[in-house]
Amino acid sequence: MSGAEGSLAVVGDPREDLLVLDDVHTHFDLGRNFLSRESKGVVKAVDGVSLAVKEGEILGLVGESGCGKSTLSRTIIQLIRPTSGRVWFKGHELTAMNDAEVRRERIDFQMIFQDPYASLNPRMTVLDTLAEAVRTRHPDLKGDALRRRVAELLRTVGLNPAHMKRYPHEFSGGQRQRVAIARALAPEPKLIIADEPVSALDVSIQSQILNLLKRLVRELGLTMIFISHDLSVVRYISDRIAVMYLGRIIELGSAEDIIDHPLHLYTKALMSAIPEPNPRAERARERIVLSGDPPSPLDPPSGCNFWPRSPVPHDDRMKQVEPPFEEVLPNHWVAACPFCVSERVKAVEPA
Amino acid sequence: MPLLDVNDLTTHFHTRDGVVRAVDGVSFHLDRGETLGIVGESGSGKSVTCYSLLRLIPEPPGRIERGTAMFDGQDLLQMSPAELRRIRGRRISMIFQDPMTSLNPFLRISTQLIEALQTHQDISNKDALKKATAALEEVGIPEASKRVTGYPHEFSGGMRQRVMIAMALITEPDLLIADEPTTALDVTVQAQILDIIKQRQNDLGTAVILVTHDLGVVAGTCDRVLVMYGGQEMESGTAEQIFYAPRHPYTRALQKTIPSLQTKGQELYTIPGLPPDASKPATGCAFFPRCPYPKNRDPMGERPDLVDLGEGHCWAACGYCDSSAPIESVLAKADEAIVDPLPVEVETAR
Repeated sequence: MSGAEGSLAVVGDPREDLLVLDDVHTHFDLGRNFLSRESKGVVKAVDGVSLAVKEGEILGLVGESGCGKSTLSRTIIQLIRPTSGRVWFKGHELTAMNDAEVRRERIDFQMIFQDPYASLNPRMTVLDTLAEAVRTRHPDLKGDALRRRVAELLRTVGLNPAHMKRYPHEFSGGQRQRVAIARALAPEPKLIIADEPVSALDVSIQSQILNLLKRLVRELGLTMIFISHDLSVVRYISDRIAVMYLGRIIELGSAEDIIDHPLHLYTKALMSAIPEPNPRAERARERIVLSGDPPSPLDPPSGCNFWPRSPVPHDDRMKQVEPPFEEVLPNHWVAACPFCVSERVKAVEPA
Repeated sequence: MPLLDVNDLTTHFHTRDGVVRAVDGVSFHLDRGETLGIVGESGSGKSVTCYSLLRLIPEPPGRIERGTAMFDGQDLLQMSPAELRRIRGRRISMIFQDPMTSLNPFLRISTQLIEALQTHQDISNKDALKKATAALEEVGIPEASKRVTGYPHEFSGGMRQRVMIAMALITEPDLLIADEPTTALDVTVQAQILDIIKQRQNDLGTAVILVTHDLGVVAGTCDRVLVMYGGQEMESGTAEQIFYAPRHPYTRALQKTIPSLQTKGQELYTIPGLPPDASKPATGCAFFPRCPYPKNRDPMGERPDLVDLGEGHCWAACGYCDSSAPIESVLAKADEAIVDPLPVEVETAR
């Protein structure tokens, strides 16, 4: 994998893009067996990810459970230090910083988690929770000014400021997720990583939260990485989409390109597995059915890691050699395995 | 005569905080070999409906207040425990959302598969094991003869759900109740599991009740659909009627809120307000407090009648809203009424 001349990273440019990842690996060593001293193996949760996030965009990250989405998000904010590879944020290299420096940077990225029941402290009122978060950015703010700021935050996420003295259990699931969003906004971050923020919510509430997130990113000029296993949700909210499979990004492009003209067989299979609320289309549709479950990252297949589940048989070479991550069409990157990537590319390339 | 005919099923929970009307007068029927989808959000009463049919409701606090559920000429709700035991697992089977908690982690898969068989049939261990292996093969478990003696933890989530299906169908029941069978699974695995249910249903002629919150799953698998909200039936009909000619405001709004792969750019429609609180039951239509349709009079007190629109398409005809208006114009008006697209929610969960 090598990028253009003079560029530091394969995908994107650390001097221009808000966040750039270059060939990041995050492995978890399971240690050795106590008696035999045999290695128990290494979980390759993130296994060579290159990615760039532009300022002001929403990047959707999709993949099945166990593909490393959450580990990747924790690696980006350096909660887990990567085993190898480099991460730049605002042009500074996070992977070269010590813990204290990273902590100072971390004020600029905030996370929203899946379960608002677990991510809010049940013993703190909404005011306490939000005030604490506001003071990470403005340590001197107190009294009325602090309350005014908290009230403003609550209004931004569509909650009644009169409820700031309440505890999390007094809110419904959707309202709690709004509180979690307000807390993420409180330190005035540049980048928000939302890890499955609507998966635990009912469908009628889910659309409220999606609209809110989309509106906030536009109005406050934020950048967001939106992680989900649900491609239709990601499609709705994202400007660009990255598809992850077993620790690697296998396709990256604009939302339109990924949904309307996917290149990688896995992206197509993932899309054809989503049931559409349309009985006639469902009956007419031909599915690409993948066999088996997603393989374990503990012992991932070598080469193009999709081959064991692919309906197209791979030759021995692609079972051994990792396909390069290439920009095969303008701004459309794919893990260029000849067996997984469609005919369309070959047809378009000469032009 | 339909295989199952449920009439005015009402299940309440008598808790310290008051009566929770989990299911409030639900009626539906199901023919042999047919698939009925029960759709609703959490708290809509869809699971309690299914549990009530098999009398799996913990009593107390739960109580089936009234109604009948005629299964092949017998009322399930009036049966003695002994009679029920002969039906459960043999003529009606059930699969649940989480296959890990519904399998016993201490027992081999073979033991658990054979148990259902030997409870209802006089069959030797050897023959039962043969049947169990065949059942696993039919749901697509590779090397079934080896894996049949394995323990649940040796199987992945999708494989466990296959085992559950094999177990539920090993007695070749007339009715399979599947309560959110794919919610805990990845989409690619969900597609496999739905295919297996469909294929086994064709092989055996089993009727299926599929409980789900996912309209996409319903579209792909169900012949008929029952839409529930707040313990009440909102609308029922064939999949075609529900998806292409929905009449009830809730059905329409629900379809509008779901992002699909076709949705581009425009803001998603949101149903204003919060899901219903079952302990403070609506006296009228459960959806009334969130209904976006304009009202022409005060609705207090009366439950809407179920009106048949023909060809089995029923809806809870709320007489207070003009629901024949196309949803787009209603939604546009609803958006105007709420200046801020995200209204301040004044109500709380309590």
